[in-house]
Amino acid sequence: MSGRRVAAITRRLLQQFRRDRRTLALLFGAPLVILGLLGYLLRGGGSVPAMGVVNLDDGPLGAAIASQLAQSNTVSASTMSRSAAQSKLRSGELAGYVLLPSDFSSRAQQFRVISPEIHLEGSQPGLSQTMVQAVSESFAALAGQVGVRFAPQVTFLYGGPSFDTLDYFGAAFIGFVVFFLVFVVTIVAFLRERGQGTLERLMASPLRRGEIVLGYMLGFTVLALVQAVEVLAFCLLILHVHNAGNVGLIFLLEALMAIAAVNLGIFLSMFARTEFQAVQFIPLVIVPQVLLSGIIFPISTEPGPLMVLSRVLPLTYAVEGMRNIMIKGADISWSSLQLDLGVVLGFCFLVILASAATLRRRIG
Amino acid sequence: MAVEAYAVEVDGVVKRFGSLRALDGATLRIRRGEVYGLLGPNGAGKTTLIRALIGLVVPDGGTVTVLGRRAPNLDVLGRVGYMTQQAALYPDLSAEENVAFFAAINGAHDGVREALEFVELWDRRGSVVSSLSGGMRTRCSLACALVHKPDLLLLDEPTVGVDPLLRVQLWHRFQRMAHDGTSILVSSHVMDEAERCDRLGLIRFGRLLAEGTVSELKATAGVDRLEDAFLKLSEAAGK
Repeated sequence: MSGRRVAAITRRLLQQFRRDRRTLALLFGAPLVILGLLGYLLRGGGSVPAMGVVNLDDGPLGAAIASQLAQSNTVSASTMSRSAAQSKLRSGELAGYVLLPSDFSSRAQQFRVISPEIHLEGSQPGLSQTMVQAVSESFAALAGQVGVRFAPQVTFLYGGPSFDTLDYFGAAFIGFVVFFLVFVVTIVAFLRERGQGTLERLMASPLRRGEIVLGYMLGFTVLALVQAVEVLAFCLLILHVHNAGNVGLIFLLEALMAIAAVNLGIFLSMFARTEFQAVQFIPLVIVPQVLLSGIIFPISTEPGPLMVLSRVLPLTYAVEGMRNIMIKGADISWSSLQLDLGVVLGFCFLVILASAATLRRRIG
Repeated sequence: MAVEAYAVEVDGVVKRFGSLRALDGATLRIRRGEVYGLLGPNGAGKTTLIRALIGLVVPDGGTVTVLGRRAPNLDVLGRVGYMTQQAALYPDLSAEENVAFFAAINGAHDGVREALEFVELWDRRGSVVSSLSGGMRTRCSLACALVHKPDLLLLDEPTVGVDPLLRVQLWHRFQRMAHDGTSILVSSHVMDEAERCDRLGLIRFGRLLAEGTVSELKATAGVDRLEDAFLKLSEAAGK
């Protein structure tokens, strides 16, 4: 082995990188951006899950529990009426509420068992778990004093006791996997079209830009839908991911995401010269969306500024839409699903226009 | 359809890329049914001029008229065949699938077999392009450019990297097409190909130094060899 030859290769590699400013910026900038985002997300003073306390207890125990919960660091508990709690649970403002019945104190003294009703929204297992734990801790503090057993009655608005993390992530990932893979395949395929010179040939033909974009869109959408069938069948039949909604609606949303991904790929391919540069869009475009679109961390617990950012990301609405359909069983009459579909559809139109408008730019 | 006197008319076209003037008042005329050679060294503006004819480059000044219509014009592009410097093909498709694709996007419903036979690739029609030799790819690329029977064929250095035998074959094919009425613009930096053209345009510094037949150009420069004519005219233009 010749050290000189090895050094030549190493030197050449570093020389290449020195001239590739974009790769250098990515190599040293992207980790800071991604880790900074993650740090801010987890330690940036994001809000804790909101829960309601409905205290109907005639005795003193209910007030003591409510006071314990109000001091909790893991949930934001506020006392409210039963109807307000039910309404807020349905609108998604609360992760759940605990109801302390009128005979709560007397039963605790008589039977040495306290059984509050815990009503959970249920679509986000992480939040449900945090809430049940906070309630349990508040009771444990008092149970130690009065020597009673804690046996809550838990109900779920969505999902159920068997609803687990896979059910929660599965719904989001069914959409995300299609979006991500179609985006990568499109951007690379379109750059190959450029690189091999065939795009120049297409541009020298009577093809209109819209025809190229539409042709690409249809071709990849066919592939994406076949992929969507595979992904969905695998999740529902093999992994048994919870689905309370209409499979047709899931397909509709997946198709819209595939169309958006194809056009985003075409659009962003205008800003890359090589497939290598195209792949660099993944940490810049995809990773922040994964962190901020609610796939992993609930948007309701993000720090305020990030919450605003999340609300402008189209993937947020796609993920929310998928969860609305699969977890909550939403149909097209739900206003929240209409908003989700509307935003994803709007984003599709935007990227279609952007990709068609910029198609000619880098060819001249 | 009215027959235009010229297949291509370029008048005082200017194109700048930053501080570089790739075309600096280029003017030329290509008659219908002739093989027109655009000769010049690398960087002279040949490719930019061809790209201006098909609208891939938008001139900063001057006018470009192709087949009687101001460029860029999408309808006219269906009557133009364009062969890029590299054999721009889909490597995963067969020769026949490539030619059929370019026929379809140019609005032709048939002609695939004829085009492949013309370039003598019909027997290899089922081979994927990535398995073809360089020369075969060049011929396949030519088939893609002419499958829709264009009135104007633009060939950007089609003989670069081509062996002498194939080069002769290609030139025979170009001349056959011109004989059948196709106007052909061939760019090249190889002077010995000039003899095969009906007329020539010598291009350098983004403008036409001279236009005419080989003998006319030699006479204009007062020399016996085309290469010398080019050098003399270049020097005169550079002064």
